[in-house]
Amino acid sequence: MLYPSQFDVIVIGGGHAGTEAALASARIGLKTLLLTHNIETLGQMSCNPSIGGIGKGHLVKEVDALGGAMAAATDEAGIQFRILNSSKGPAVRATRAQADRVLYRQAIRGRLENQPNLWLFQQAVDDLILERDRVVGVVTQLGLRFQAKAVVLTAGTFLAGLVHVGQSNYQAGRAGDPPSITLAQRLREIQLPVKRFKTGTPPRIDGRSLDYSVMVEQPGDDPAPAFSFLGSSAQHPRQLPCWITQTNLHTHDIIRGGLDRSPLYTGVIEGVGPRYCPSIEDKIMRFSGKDSHQIFVEPEGLNTHEIYPNGISTSLPFDVQVELVRSIQGFENAHITRPGYAIEYDFFDPLGLKHSLETKGIQGLFFAGQINGTTGYEEAAAQGILAGINAGLLAQGKEAWYPSRDQAYLGVMVDDLITRGVVEPYRMFTSRAEYRLMLREDNADLRLTEAGRMLGVVDDVRWQNFVEKREAIAREQERLKSVWVNPKLLPQDDAERVLGKGIEREYSLLDLLRRPDVSYRDLLTLPGAGVGVEDSKVAEQVEIQAKYQGYIARQQEEVARHQHYEAMVLPLSLDYREVHGLSIEVQQKLNQHKPETLGQAGRISGVTPAAISVLLVYLKRGQSISDDKKSA
Amino acid sequence: MVNTDTIAAIATAHGRGGIGVVRISGEDLRDFSLNILGRIPAPRVAALTNFLAVDGEVIDQGIALYFPAPHSYTGQDVLELQGHGGDAVMHRLLARCLELAARPAEPGEFTQRAFLNDKMDLAQAESVADLIDAATIEAAKTAMRSLRGEFSRTIHQLVDALTSLRMLVEATLDFPEEEIDFLEESNALNQLAAIDSQLDKVFRQANQGSLLREGLHIVLIGQPNVGKSSLLNQLAGEEVAIVTPVAGTTRDAIRQHIEIEGVALHFIDTAGLRDTDDEVEEIGIARTWSAIQQANVALLLIDAAQGIVPADLEIIAKLPAGLPLLRVFNKVDLLGEEPRVDASGGVADIYLSAKTGAGIELLHEHLLRVVGWQTGGEGVFMARERHLSALRVAKERLSLAAACKGRVEFFAEELRLAQNALSSITGEFTSDDLLGEIFSRFCIGK
Repeated sequence: MLYPSQFDVIVIGGGHAGTEAALASARIGLKTLLLTHNIETLGQMSCNPSIGGIGKGHLVKEVDALGGAMAAATDEAGIQFRILNSSKGPAVRATRAQADRVLYRQAIRGRLENQPNLWLFQQAVDDLILERDRVVGVVTQLGLRFQAKAVVLTAGTFLAGLVHVGQSNYQAGRAGDPPSITLAQRLREIQLPVKRFKTGTPPRIDGRSLDYSVMVEQPGDDPAPAFSFLGSSAQHPRQLPCWITQTNLHTHDIIRGGLDRSPLYTGVIEGVGPRYCPSIEDKIMRFSGKDSHQIFVEPEGLNTHEIYPNGISTSLPFDVQVELVRSIQGFENAHITRPGYAIEYDFFDPLGLKHSLETKGIQGLFFAGQINGTTGYEEAAAQGILAGINAGLLAQGKEAWYPSRDQAYLGVMVDDLITRGVVEPYRMFTSRAEYRLMLREDNADLRLTEAGRMLGVVDDVRWQNFVEKREAIAREQERLKSVWVNPKLLPQDDAERVLGKGIEREYSLLDLLRRPDVSYRDLLTLPGAGVGVEDSKVAEQVEIQAKYQGYIARQQEEVARHQHYEAMVLPLSLDYREVHGLSIEVQQKLNQHKPETLGQAGRISGVTPAAISVLLVYLKRGQSISDDKKSA
Repeated sequence: MVNTDTIAAIATAHGRGGIGVVRISGEDLRDFSLNILGRIPAPRVAALTNFLAVDGEVIDQGIALYFPAPHSYTGQDVLELQGHGGDAVMHRLLARCLELAARPAEPGEFTQRAFLNDKMDLAQAESVADLIDAATIEAAKTAMRSLRGEFSRTIHQLVDALTSLRMLVEATLDFPEEEIDFLEESNALNQLAAIDSQLDKVFRQANQGSLLREGLHIVLIGQPNVGKSSLLNQLAGEEVAIVTPVAGTTRDAIRQHIEIEGVALHFIDTAGLRDTDDEVEEIGIARTWSAIQQANVALLLIDAAQGIVPADLEIIAKLPAGLPLLRVFNKVDLLGEEPRVDASGGVADIYLSAKTGAGIELLHEHLLRVVGWQTGGEGVFMARERHLSALRVAKERLSLAAACKGRVEFFAEELRLAQNALSSITGEFTSDDLLGEIFSRFCIGK
C-alpha cells in the first residue's frame, strides 16, 4: 500500500547516525519519518558502553554545538566521566564517559518521541523507490510504500551482516538482531560501489564472578565534567569506577592454541578490520614480544552486573574464549554472559559521496555512519547530523552545507572520507586534523553554533546561552586589552608571584595573559587588574584564546592560503581526459574521485601541485569561454 | 602553488651579465618595498636606488621598477630589481627576498599568474598549460636528479627520523590510555637534537652542491707586480686578465672565470679598492665590496722575496669575518726554491711560480680544500634555492619545537610544519601515513 501522507525526509535506521539525522531534520521543521526494524533498540550502544575519547569527544561536542542529542543524552546516562589528556593542553583534551546502556537508550528514545515533526515507524526497509537517478521513497518488508523528497540511509553493520564465532557463522545485523539482506542486495543491484569490512566485540562477563581486589581501580574525574554545552554534572546519575587488569603469557598460549579454529586466521573472514582496535588474537600475533595487554573492565550500567572487558575483542571459538578469559588476573571464575564475535558487513565506498553525504549516483539519497566505512558511535552521530541537515536542505530546495577542515572535526572526517576513501574502518584521531590547535572541544560551540542557528537546528535556549557566552568573552577580552600594568606601580612581590619576574615596560593584561606561565585567575590578583568574569567557561575561553593567539593566527594564514582553491568548483560532469596537460594517472584518479572543488582535488593522493595548476588554467579557460558567450 | 603568496625569482639568465633582474610578484608589495628599498617607488618610474640587507647594508645599487596591481605583468603588484649581473649579487638579492617571506617561484609561475589574472587573452592562454607542464617536468627531473645518491639517503634519513619522532608525539596525544608514555620513553629532545644536527649535515652538503652550481668566489689580494695576472693566466691556461699600468682603470671587479674539477672559480680583483672622488669609480668599488661579501675564500698573493706588506694587511682587515684566507708565495723560481706546501704555521701556505707554472696544481687542490670541497663529488647535492629554502624552514621549525618544552601540542605543531617543509622536497606525507607508522610499531587499541 502507499502510505497516505508524504514526508520531506525519511531516515532508515535508529542507531547513532539515524537518530541524529532524524532529530536534525525534524528540528529544521521538516516532516520526518524514522524507520527502524525495532523501536526498542533506538539509540542502542551495540559495542563498548562509552562515548567520547580523543578525537571522538571533539565530534560529540560538535554534534552538541549543532543542537544534537549525543552529549546531552550522555549527561543523563553517564556513570563515569573523565577528561583525557588533561595535562597536555586544550587542543588535545577530550571528554570520555562510560554510559549506562539502558539510560542512554531511554534518553535518546525520549528525545525522539518528544520531537515535533518526527514520526517513528517500526518496519524493516527492503527497497528504495527510484525515479531515474533520483530517490523518491522506500518500500518496507510488508510492502508499505513511503514517499519523501530525501532519504537518509544509516544501516550500520546490518547490510549483509555476517557474525562469526569460531568456525560457525550466521547472518545478523549485530548479535541478536536480523540483518538487512534484501536492502543490501537491492543496493548492490543499483551498482553503488560496495566493499566489506569487519569489526568485533569481546565476550561480556557477569561482574559478580570477578575478583576486583586484584585489579587497579580507575575512578572518574572529581568533579565530573559535563558533556553538553548546556549540561551540568547535576544531571549525572550515580557514578561508578572502572577497573584495569591485563592478559599474561598463559593467556597468549591459550590464544595461539586456538588459532587453527579462528575465522580470522583460517581465512574465513575476508573483510578488513581496524588496526587501532584489533582483536586479542591479532594483538598477540602482531606484537608477539609483548608479555601482556591491558584490559579495561567497564560496567555496562547501574542496574546490571554485566561488564564489558575492553581489550579482548575476539572471534575465537567459544571454548577458547572461556579458557582465555579465565586465565586473566581477577577473571579466574568469570562467567561469560554473551560470547565475543566478529561481524563482517557491507559498506559503500565513500568516494561515491559528496561533502553533503548525498550519493553522487542517486539524487536525494544520503548515507551516514558505519555504512560509509567509519567506526564508532561518535563518527556515526556526526555524519548523521550532517546528513539530516543536508537532506532537510535538499527537501527545501536549498544549497548543501558542510563545515570545512579548519572549522570542525566533522569537516575533516567527511573530507577525508570522500577525497581519500577508506582502507580500514575510519576512526577519528586528532592527528588527522592539520588545524588541530583551532579545533578544540572547548570552542566547538564558537565554531558551529552560529552555523547551526542559521540552518535551523539550534533552538532558542541554546542560542540565547551561546550569544551570552560569546558576548561575555568579547567583553572580557576588550577589558583585558584596555587595562595596562605599569612597571613602576607593580609591587615586586606581586610581579614575581604572578609573572615570575618584574616587567620592564607597560603591558596590557591581555599581553601578560599570553605568557605561557601566567594564569587568568592569578592575573586577576594583580593590583588594579579589576574584577574578572565568574563563569569558568568564559574565563577558560579568554585564557586559551590569549595563549593560542600566535599559533592560531599562523594556522589561519595557512587556511587563507588554501581557501582560494576550496572555493573553485569542479563540475561533476568534467571528463578529465579532456584536460590537456594532465598525466594519464592523474586523469584516471580525478575521473574516479570526481572532486567537488580544486582544494579537494589537491588532497587526492597522487594529484600533484602541477596538476592543480593545469586544472586552474583549464577552469579559467572554460570560464572565459562562457564569459565570451555571455557578452556575445 | 598558491596565487596569493609572494613569489620571487632571478629573471635573467644564469651567469655573468651586465644587468641582472630579480622579479617579485605578490598581492601587496608595499611593505616588501619598504624593507628592501627603504621606500615605495613611484609606479612605473625607473629610479636608482639601493637594495638593502636586513641590517641596512647595501647589497647592490640599481634600478627599481614598481608596477602596482593591476597594471603589471602578472596583474598583481610586481617589483623588478635591476642590479649588477653576476651570480653572487643576484643570489644575495634573491635570498633577501626570501627572507622577506617571498617564496621561490615555480617554473612558469609568473606567466601562470598573468593568465589567471586576465593579463593574457585566450589565444595566449592556450599555451600556458603546455608551458606549465613542460616546466614542471623539467623541474621534476631536476629535483629527481638532485635527489639521487648520498644526498637522497641523507634527506630520507632525516625524514625518517622526523617521522619517527612525530609518531611518538602523535601517539602520546592520540592514545593516552595506552600503557606507555611514548614521549617520555623515547627522550624526545635528544631525538630532536639528532635531527637538527643531521639537518646541519644536509646544509653542508647542499652547500657543496651550490658550490658546484654557483662556483667558488675568490677574492684576489696582492700588490701590483706581485704576479696576479700571471697567476690568473696560468690558472686559466690562456691570456685572460688585461691589466693596464694606469692605477684606477679597474672600475669593475675584474672577475675571471676558471674551471677546476668542474667547479667554476670566480676571481674578484681588489686592485681597484682605494679611496677615490670619482663617482663612477666609487660605484665600482661599492660593487666590489658587495661581491666580497659573498666570497668563499680570499687568496693573498705575496712576492716570496718581499713577504706580506702593510697594504695587504689593510685589505685583509676589511674582509668579512670568518672568510678563509689562503696565502700564496709567488716567484719561488727567482729564489731558486721548489714549489711546496708549508703547513707548519697551522695554515697551509703555498709556494709556487706563476711564471713557470710550477706548483699551480697545489693551488688547485688547496683552493677547493679550503672551502671543504671533497674531490670526487661524493655526498654532493645540487641544491636548488627552493630546496635550501625548504630546509631552512624545517630547521627554523625544529628550533621552535625545541623551545616548546612541555607544551606538547605546540611541539607537535612545529614538527608538523617542519615535515610540511620537507614534504615539498620528498613528496606529501599524510596523517594516514603517520597513523600507519603508529599502528605498525605499537599495539594500540582496547
